[in-house]
Amino acid sequence: MAKIVAEHLKYKYPLSEKLALYDISFTIEPGEFIGIIGENNAGKSTLCQAMVGIVPNFYKGAYGGKVLIGDMEIAKSNISDICKKVGIVFQNPFNQVTGCKLTVYEEVAFGLENMGLPRSEMIDRIDYSLKLLDIYKYKDRNPFDLSGGQMQRMAIASIIAMRPEVIILDEPTSQLDPQGSEEVFRAVQNLSREGITIIMVEHKMEKIAEYSDRVMLLHEGKLIAFETPEKIFSRDDLDCYGVTAPAYTRICKSLGIKNKKTGFYPVTLEETKSLIGFSEKERCPYDQN
Amino acid sequence: MIHKLDPNSKIIYIFVANIAPALIGARMATASFILISIVILTIGKVLHKTAPMLEFSGLILLTVAIIQGIFHQGNTTVAFALGSVVFYKEGLMFALGIALNVINILMSFSILVLTTKPSDMVETFVHMGLSPRLGYVMSSVFQIIPQMTKTMATITDAQRSRGMETEGKLKTRIKAFFPLISPVVMNSLISTKERAIALEVRGFGSKQKKTFLNDLQKTRYDDIFRFVLILILILSIFWRVLIWLK
Repeated sequence: MAKIVAEHLKYKYPLSEKLALYDISFTIEPGEFIGIIGENNAGKSTLCQAMVGIVPNFYKGAYGGKVLIGDMEIAKSNISDICKKVGIVFQNPFNQVTGCKLTVYEEVAFGLENMGLPRSEMIDRIDYSLKLLDIYKYKDRNPFDLSGGQMQRMAIASIIAMRPEVIILDEPTSQLDPQGSEEVFRAVQNLSREGITIIMVEHKMEKIAEYSDRVMLLHEGKLIAFETPEKIFSRDDLDCYGVTAPAYTRICKSLGIKNKKTGFYPVTLEETKSLIGFSEKERCPYDQN
Repeated sequence: MIHKLDPNSKIIYIFVANIAPALIGARMATASFILISIVILTIGKVLHKTAPMLEFSGLILLTVAIIQGIFHQGNTTVAFALGSVVFYKEGLMFALGIALNVINILMSFSILVLTTKPSDMVETFVHMGLSPRLGYVMSSVFQIIPQMTKTMATITDAQRSRGMETEGKLKTRIKAFFPLISPVVMNSLISTKERAIALEVRGFGSKQKKTFLNDLQKTRYDDIFRFVLILILILSIFWRVLIWLK
């Protein structure tokens, strides 16, 4: 499994005056779940694209420092080689459909065909990833006839099938309805359990707090902090960076409830419940859950 | 049954149907291949789809017949005359030859085009060595263009809901067309960029030799079909050699 290391990464888009990424350094261990947060134009997407080589190989522009995936240096490799190690899923599920395949099954096969895999291996991998994302039942449908959530899961399945060691999700649920987002989050959680390194940009802070091992806070292209969610969301200066902490953290902050062990405010529902001594027995007797 | 044939067999048919008559050098050969094509198209239940194509080319072939019938260089034998316009036999026969060849080419290509799924056809071409990029362009046309039409309809609806007149007189419709261009063009440019990136991260630019999910299914019929075709080709080469040796 590959470690991701960024060393003094700087990047400026062509035709732009400002640096999109300014001197970013970090290390991500294999198997970690990393959340990336920050306001719009903070450089979240650019950072994601810098880890797959779209920056600088697709966009060109001025580039400094380096990003290493294992021992592969991104700026000096082809996207077609990097994509075997790092997969990326974008915001708009619609624009990730290749448009040259007629069924979901063939769509997922696209990346594998390009990798030159033998047919039997392809079938194994496609079946596995379609089942993992729970869309095997739609395998004969036209990709464009799926709902947003299904389409996004298909996009994730297409990446999974390529067996990358790292998966980057750039706001995978921003264009989906609550049900669709829930489907995607559940799928991502499954992947994380499989031991794949996951890097996710997301605006739903509750989700970030729930899943992430560590959270990266970006602001105007700079890396402000890279800490555990508790530490990040307990910061007093979050609003300066245009980030709102999860609802639980905000409530506990105003009530002054801190986790005595860590000294930080709780970030998830479960943690909050245990802190205020909420008993499971108080539940409504008719509640199915 | 015809639909299930391997596209490669159909390509072989096109090749043989056009080469064999040229080797044999008789109009009867061309005519019989046209007949075979018609039979195959009828079995495939797509004969009626060739009608628009034949109507169009028929018009051109008719002008060829008229011009050649009147002005062909070797015209000597009078066939018939319409008033002062005289048609000659040689010219008409020459035009008949051209017509048979054109119809033969059209019919044999129709078998491939009308009885094969477009995606299968493109895949066969890529198998045969067409660049995957060009193949992508060809097959994405069938999916992306309808999607673009859909986007355009959405944008028209949005503009109409804000009070723009898009229906009625020709002038109104032309006027309504211009505000449509920039959102549609911008929209497709943006989605094209995003799609290009999405293709790129799935290894589309890879130098590796591509493999294919769909196995081209060669059936028993393919073998029989190909065997007969090759036989015809060999026989016609044989025939040509015999003529030369005389």
